[in-house]
Amino acid sequence: MLEILTPLFLSLIVGGTLVGIIFGAIPGMTATMAVAVCLPLTYSLGLENGLALLLGLYVGGISGGLVPAILLGIPGTPSSITTTFDGYPMAQRGEGEKALRIGIVSSFVGGIISLIVLWLFAPTLADFAIKFSYVEKFLIIFFAMTVMAALSSDMLMGVFSGVLGVFISLIGTYDISNGGNGELRLIPPGTEYWLESGFSLLPVLIGLFGLAAILEQAEIGVPKGHSAKDLQVGKSSSFSFRIFATNGVNLVRSSLIGTFVGILPGVGGSAASIIAYTNAKTFSKTPEKFGKGEPAGIIASESGNNGLTGGALVPLLSLGIPGDSTTALLIGAFTLQGIQVGPLFIGNNPVTWDAMIIAMLIANVAMFVMMYFAIRYFALVVTIPKHILFPVILMMCVIGAYTINYGIMFDVWTLLIFGVFGWLASKIGIEVAPFIIGFILGPSAEVYFVKSLESFGDLTIFFTKSWIAVLLWVLILGSIVGSVLMSRKQRRMNQ
Amino acid sequence: MGDLTRVTIDFQTSHLIFPTLIACVLGLLGLAVLIRDRSKIAAAVPYWRGVLEGMDKLRFFGALVLTLLYFSLMVPVGNIWPNTGLGFLLCSIPYLLATGLLFMHERPLRQVLPLLIVAVVGPVFVWWLFTYPLFLSLP
Amino acid sequence: MKINRRTLLAAASAVALLAQPMIAQAQNLPRNMRMVIGSKSTGGDTYQASAMVADALSEKLGINIKVDAVGSSEAFKVLERDKRGTTIMMFHDQAYLGHLYGVTGYDDIFANYNIGPTVAINPGNAYLVAADSPYQSMQDILQAAADGTRVRVAIQPGGVSEIGFSAMKNAAKVLNPGSEENIVPVNTGSQSDKNQAMWDDLADVINGSIQGNEQFTQLPADDVKAMRFVWITARPETLEQAPEAGMGGTSRDEMLKHASPATSVTLDGSKDFTFDKEFFLLYNKDMDPAVSEAIDAALTEIYADGEIQKRQKEAFFMPNFLPAAEAKAHLEDKNATYAKVIDQISAGN
Repeated sequence: MLEILTPLFLSLIVGGTLVGIIFGAIPGMTATMAVAVCLPLTYSLGLENGLALLLGLYVGGISGGLVPAILLGIPGTPSSITTTFDGYPMAQRGEGEKALRIGIVSSFVGGIISLIVLWLFAPTLADFAIKFSYVEKFLIIFFAMTVMAALSSDMLMGVFSGVLGVFISLIGTYDISNGGNGELRLIPPGTEYWLESGFSLLPVLIGLFGLAAILEQAEIGVPKGHSAKDLQVGKSSSFSFRIFATNGVNLVRSSLIGTFVGILPGVGGSAASIIAYTNAKTFSKTPEKFGKGEPAGIIASESGNNGLTGGALVPLLSLGIPGDSTTALLIGAFTLQGIQVGPLFIGNNPVTWDAMIIAMLIANVAMFVMMYFAIRYFALVVTIPKHILFPVILMMCVIGAYTINYGIMFDVWTLLIFGVFGWLASKIGIEVAPFIIGFILGPSAEVYFVKSLESFGDLTIFFTKSWIAVLLWVLILGSIVGSVLMSRKQRRMNQ
Repeated sequence: MGDLTRVTIDFQTSHLIFPTLIACVLGLLGLAVLIRDRSKIAAAVPYWRGVLEGMDKLRFFGALVLTLLYFSLMVPVGNIWPNTGLGFLLCSIPYLLATGLLFMHERPLRQVLPLLIVAVVGPVFVWWLFTYPLFLSLP
Repeated sequence: MKINRRTLLAAASAVALLAQPMIAQAQNLPRNMRMVIGSKSTGGDTYQASAMVADALSEKLGINIKVDAVGSSEAFKVLERDKRGTTIMMFHDQAYLGHLYGVTGYDDIFANYNIGPTVAINPGNAYLVAADSPYQSMQDILQAAADGTRVRVAIQPGGVSEIGFSAMKNAAKVLNPGSEENIVPVNTGSQSDKNQAMWDDLADVINGSIQGNEQFTQLPADDVKAMRFVWITARPETLEQAPEAGMGGTSRDEMLKHASPATSVTLDGSKDFTFDKEFFLLYNKDMDPAVSEAIDAALTEIYADGEIQKRQKEAFFMPNFLPAAEAKAHLEDKNATYAKVIDQISAGN
C-alpha cells in the first residue's frame, strides 16, 4: 500500500493539480484539454503514476474554472457556468475575495464528499445508475432545464431565450454517436459545409461570455479603471466559515447531486452544476437573490461540479463507461497499459484502485491549499489594465476555440458569431444565462426524448416508467411552481 | 388511455421530431413576446439609433474589424509554413498591439511599452507552449 | 526503450532533426505533418493506433507529426483541401462503410482519396447476449428468426457497428429467405447506450467489443449485468495473433470459439462472413507520390524492427502492415464484399 506513495507519485499529483488549475483558470482551456495533452505522457510513467498526474489535472481543471468565472464573469470551463451567475455580481460589488473563498471551500467539500461516495459505494451506485433508462435521463435533463425560468429577470423572455438555445443547439446532424440517424436539419441552405457538425459548446460559451463582454466594454469606450472592484485581500474580507453553517444542507446536497449526475453516463459534465444550482434555488428561502450575487449559488455550483469528479469515475471503474468527457480520456490511459476497465476492475486491480483514491484525495487537498493561498495572486488579474487584459483574453479565447476540437477554424468563427450575438442579445432583451443552459442541455434532451418514445412507443411512459420518474416529476413541478411564485412576488414588489 | 397516447417513431425521420417540437414552442413564445412587447418593438428604429449614437463607434467597430481581420488572416498566413502555428503567432502580435492601442485612452510611452512587451511576449510564449510541451495544432 | 512522441519532440526535436535531416530532405517530405483522424476522442482506439504510428514515423523520418482528433467529417474536409502532403488522415473501415450505408458526410474514398498503408487491426468487434438469454449461439439466433421470433439487435447505425448486424440479416436470408425480417435493429449510440438497451430489455443482442464487454462476461450469472459473447466478427487468422492468455478471463481459444469457423455467420452459403476493423492511412488525391512512397518505406522498416508490434499488442491491436498498393486492393475487396451484403439485405425490402 505505502509503496505507491513515492515522491514521484506525490509530485505528479501536486504538479498535475497545479497545471490543471491553470488550464481551468484560463478561459477556453478546459480540464478535458489538460488531460488530453498529458495522456501520452502516462505511457512512459506507468499506470499508477500516470493516473496520479491525470487525476490531479482533472481535479485542478474542474476547480480552476471558478477563478475567471468570479473575477471576470467568464466561465473558465463549461462546468463553472453557474458560478458566474452569482460569483461575478459579488465581484462587482467588491466581494470577489469572499466569493473566491466560498467557491474554493465548496469545491473542496464537493470533491471530498464525492470521493467518499466513490470509495465506499462505487459498485452499488453503478447498479443503481443502470436503472436510469432514456426516460429518467430525459426527466433529469428536463429538470435541469426548468432553471431557465428561474434564472431570468423576465420570465417570458428567459424561457424564450432558453428554448432558442435548445433550438440553436440542434443545428447540424442528429449525431449518430449519440443514437441519432445522422441526418442534417435546421441548416440554412449553402452553409452545410460549415454547419454539418453544428456549433461547438466551448466557442459558443466563450463567445457569449468573453467576447460579448469585451464588445460591451468597447461600446462604452473601455472606461478606465478595473474590471471588478479592487480586491483588498485580507483587509475588508467579510468571509467567514459561518456562511457554510447556514448552507450546510445546500453544500452536502449539491455535492451529492454533482456526484450522482457524474454517475449517470451520458447526462454530461456541465449538467451537474446546473442541476445542483436549480435544486439550491428551488429549496432556497430566498430564491429571488439567486443570480444577483447569492453565496448559496456559488456553493451549489462549485460543490456540484467538483462532486462530479468522484461521480464520473464510478461508471468508468465499475461499468467501463465514462461519466463525462474527461473520464472518457482516462479509458485511454488504461487501455494503453493493457488494463481493462469494467465491472471487475476494482476487484482485479486493488493497488491501482487504492492509488486512484489516494491520488484523488491528495489532489483535492493540494487544490484547496494552492488555491486558497493563491487568492491574492488571482486577485491581481483584476488590477491588470483593461487595454492589456482584454486583448490577451481575446487571444486566449481564440486558442481555446481553435484547440478544443484539435484545430477546426470554424470554431474560431463560432466564437465571433456568438460574441456578436451575445452583444445583440443584451440589447434586445434575450437573456444569455438561460440561452446557454438551453444550448448545453438541448442535444441530450433531444436524444433522450426521442429515444424514450422510439423505445416505448407511448407518451404516458414519462409518467409511468418507474418511481424515479415520478420523483423527478415532483422536482420538476416544484421548480416550475417555485419560479412562477417568485416571479409574481417580484412583480408585486415592483408595483 | 390506450391509443391516444401511442406514438410510433420512424427512425429515418426521427431527426425532425424534436426540432419541429422546439420550433413550435419557440414560435408560440416568440408570438407571446411580440404581443406583449409590441410597443417596444415598434420603437425599434429610434432605439437602435440611440444605441448607435451612444456608443463609442471607433472602439466598438474598430475591435470588430480588427478581430475579423485577425481571424481571416490567420489561416492564409499559416498556410505559408504549414502546421507550424506561425499563422497564429504572426497575426496575434499585431492584433494584440492594435486592440491594446485602440482600447487605451492616452498613449504615453510609459503605458505603451508594457503593452508592447505583452503583445510580443504573450503570443510567443503561448506559441512555444502549444507547439512544444503541449504539442497542439495552431493555425 | 519506450519513446513517447510528446516527450521526444518537446525535449529532443532539435536533436532528432539534426540527427536525421537527410532522410526528410532527400525525400522532400514536409517537416511538419498533421495526421487528422476520423474520431473526436483522444482516448479511443483510432487515436491510439494513430499515435503509435505517428510516433514511429516521426522518429524514423525525423519530422514532426501531430495527431489531431478532429472527427471524420472535418478530417475529410481538411485532407481534401491540402494537396501538399502536409496533412494525412488515419481512419478505419468506417471510412467506406459510412459511404455504403449512405451516411451524410461520407464520400467514396476510393474515388476521392488515395489509400495509404494499413497498420493495425482492432479485432474486438463482437455481439453479445444477456447471460440468461435463451440464445446460446448465433445458430440459435438465426433459428429463432427462422421460427418467426423477433430478435432485436442494438447497434449504432451507419458503419462498423451495423456491418455485423447486416451480416446476420444476410445469413438469415441465405439460410431461410424471409426470416431476415425478424432480425430488427435497435438504433442506439455509444457502448453505454447499447449495454443499457440490454438491461432495459429493449434489445436481445447487442453490438460490443472484446475490450469493452469482456468483464461483463465474467460476472456471476445472477448479476443483472452479466453477458455472454455469441459472435466475434474477426477473421480467425487475426485472433490467432492475440496473446494466448487472451484478454481478462477469456482466453484466445475461448475467443476463437465465438469466431469463424467455429461460429458461423454465412456470407453466401459456403463462406463465412468476417469483419476486422482495420486502421489505414488516407491521402489527398493530388499528393506527391514521393510522400506516400517515403511513408511506405519508413513503415516497412518500422515493422521490420518489430518494436511497434509489441506496443500494438500491449494495447490489444493486431499488427497488420500492408503497403499502400496492397492495402488499396485489400480494402477495395472488403468494400465490394460488404457492398454486396448491404445490397442483398436491402434488395428484399
